[in-house]
Amino acid sequence: MPQASLRKEHFGKFVAAVSKGRKFFGPLECSDGVQLAELSPQDVPAFEYGNFTLPPKRFFLPRSEVIAVHGPGGMAATPPSQERVVLFGVRPCDAMSLTYMDKVFIDETYVDPYYRSRRENTLIITLACRQPAVTCFCASVKGCPAGTAGADIAASDLGDALLLESITDAGHAFLAEHAGLMGKPSTAQLKARDSQHADAGKKMSPVDVEKLPARLQAAFESKTWDDISQRCLGCGVCTFLCPTCHCFGLHDEQVGPVQRRVRAQDACAFPTFTLEASGHNPRTRQGARMRQRVMHKFCYAAENFGELFCVGCGRCIRSCPANLDIRQTLAEVPE
Amino acid sequence: MHEVEIKMREAARTLLESGKVDLVLGFEQGSLPLRMRPCFARNAGATVGLVWNDFCANNLAAYLPGLFQKPADVRGSWTAPTVAVVAKRCDARSVIELIKENQIPRQNVVLIGMPCQGMVDPRKAQEAAGANVTACKMAPDKQVELTTAEGGVAMSPREAILADACLECATPAPQGADVEIPGPSRPSAANPYGRLSEFESLTARERWDAFVGEISKCIRCYACRQACPNCYCKTCFIEQSKPTWAGVGDELSDVLLFHIGRIFHQAGRCVGCDACVRACPKNIDLRLFTRKIVKDVQELFGYVPGMSLDEQPPLCTFKEDDNESFITHP
Repeated sequence: MPQASLRKEHFGKFVAAVSKGRKFFGPLECSDGVQLAELSPQDVPAFEYGNFTLPPKRFFLPRSEVIAVHGPGGMAATPPSQERVVLFGVRPCDAMSLTYMDKVFIDETYVDPYYRSRRENTLIITLACRQPAVTCFCASVKGCPAGTAGADIAASDLGDALLLESITDAGHAFLAEHAGLMGKPSTAQLKARDSQHADAGKKMSPVDVEKLPARLQAAFESKTWDDISQRCLGCGVCTFLCPTCHCFGLHDEQVGPVQRRVRAQDACAFPTFTLEASGHNPRTRQGARMRQRVMHKFCYAAENFGELFCVGCGRCIRSCPANLDIRQTLAEVPE
Repeated sequence: MHEVEIKMREAARTLLESGKVDLVLGFEQGSLPLRMRPCFARNAGATVGLVWNDFCANNLAAYLPGLFQKPADVRGSWTAPTVAVVAKRCDARSVIELIKENQIPRQNVVLIGMPCQGMVDPRKAQEAAGANVTACKMAPDKQVELTTAEGGVAMSPREAILADACLECATPAPQGADVEIPGPSRPSAANPYGRLSEFESLTARERWDAFVGEISKCIRCYACRQACPNCYCKTCFIEQSKPTWAGVGDELSDVLLFHIGRIFHQAGRCVGCDACVRACPKNIDLRLFTRKIVKDVQELFGYVPGMSLDEQPPLCTFKEDDNESFITHP
C-alpha cells in the first residue's frame, strides 16, 4: 500500500495543485458547524470535527437535479456531469456508505448514468476518526473508525502532518501525481497511526444487529411499530441525513416557458411518499412508515444486497427532533 | 426541581388512575446527554418514567391535533381520547391557540402547568464545553457543570447555555392550567423582542440578504413544520399538486417560497416556543423571522398568541377600525 506524509503547512499548496484539475472539497468551519465545502488554497481547513451534518451522498445523488428538459425537439436528457471532484475528510463510515449506494445505482442490470458519472469522476480521501461521537456505532455494522472501504486514499491526522495511504488505482495515481509535495512517512508516524486507530475503536458502545433480518421479518405485524412511532413527528431528518437512504421521486415541472423533469430525494416518513393518484394511501399510519424505513435498511437490503444499509454514522440519532434512537428501536424489535 | 418532578408525576398518576384521562403526554429520559424526550403514558404504572428537568424542551402540543383525528384505517365509531399534557407555559399557549383554531376539543385536554426556569440548549452547552458533553449538572450560584467525553469538566453560567427563546420568554410561569404544579419560574424577560432590534435596524435589502443567507441552508426535511404545533394542515401548501405552488427540489426560489409561506402562516399564532429552531438539523435561525411577524401583529392589532381562550385571533376577526397602515397602494 503506497504511503506518503503531507505536512499540514503544505495543505494550501496541495489544494492549489489538486484544484488545477479538480474541484476540491474539504472540511471548513461554516455558520452551521464544520461542513464539507469547496476549499481554496487560502482557506484554513478544520481538522477537528465529528462528522459533517450532511452525508456525502449529495455529491452523487443531489437533493434534487434536472434530468431532462423539454425543448422544441422534444424531451432531451440532461447529460451526466463530468466534473472532476476530490472529497477530502470524508469519514470512513460515509465512505463505506458509498459502496452500498453503488449496489443500488450501479448494479449489473440497472445503471444510473448520473450517479455513475459522478462516482467515476470523484476521488474519496477519508480521514480516520480519533474521537467517535456518543452517537457512533460503526464498529457494530462492519465499520471501523479507520476503515478504508469506499476510500481511494485513507488519511490519518497525526497532528502536524497527514499520513496518506492509497487504496485504489485512482488513489495510487493521485498520490504519484502529487508526490512532489509529500514525503516518506517515518516509522514513528506509522506507529502513531496504529495506536490512534486502536484507541478510537474502543470508544463505541455495541449494537446487536445479529439475526436482525429474520427478527424484523417475524415482527412485521408487531404492535411495537405503533408504540415506537408515537414519538415520530414524521419529518425527513433521518432520511435526508442518512448516508444510504436513496429513494427519490420524478416530477415534471414547468418553470416559465420551460418544462423539465426533476429527480428529487423523497422520504418514506412522509405520507405523500406512498400516496397514489387515486387518493388511496397504503401506509396511513406513521408506524407503518417507520417500519418501512427500518425494514428497508435492516431486512430488505440484506435480502437484496447481502448488506445492512446502515454504517453507524449516528446522524439519525443526533438530529432526530423527538430523540428516536435507531439503536433502541432495533433493540425493541421483538425476538 | 426534584420536588416539581414528584408533584407532576403524582398529578399524572392521579389523572390516569381516576380515569379522567386516557393518556398523559410528558417527558422521559432520552438516549443522549442533555436530552429528554416525549413520553406517552397510558396507565398509572407508566408515570414512574415521567421526568422534569432543564432538558424537557420539546413542545408536546405538536402531537395533539393528530391524537384527535380519527385514524384513516379505523372503520366504524371512534372515540377521541382525553389527554393530559405536561406543559411549559409556551406549550400551554400553543394548546390555547389550537383550541381556538378548533384543532383540539377543550373538554378533552387537561393542562398540567409546569413552572419553568428555561430549557438548556444542548448546542450552546456543547460550545461552552468545547467538546462532546456527556452530562450537565446544576451547580450552586447559577452555574452548571459540564462533563465531557474526554473526561474534562467545564463550568458555565446557567444563563449562557439556555435556549435563546427562553432568555426572551415573557411568560415563564404557569397560568390558567387545569392542574398547576407549584415551583419557581424564571422572571419574565423585560424585552421579549430583544434580538429583533438588530434585524429591524437593517435596510430592506439587508434584511432580504439575511433571510436568503439563513434559508439557503435548508434541505427541505420539513422538521420545522412537523415539530411546530401550528403546522397541522392536512396537506401543506408546499406539497399540494393542484395547483403546484412550488417545485419539489432544493432550488433557492422553491425553498424560499416554503419558508415565506410557513412564516407568514405564523402571523398572530406563533408563541415563540423554539420547536422549529430545535428541530432544524441545519441550525437555521427560523425564530428571528417568525418573531418579527408576531411582533408586527402585536403592534398592529394588539394581539399576543395563546394568552387567553376568550380573545379572538386577529386572523379570524374584522373590525372597522382595524389598523391598515401596512396596506400600500400602488
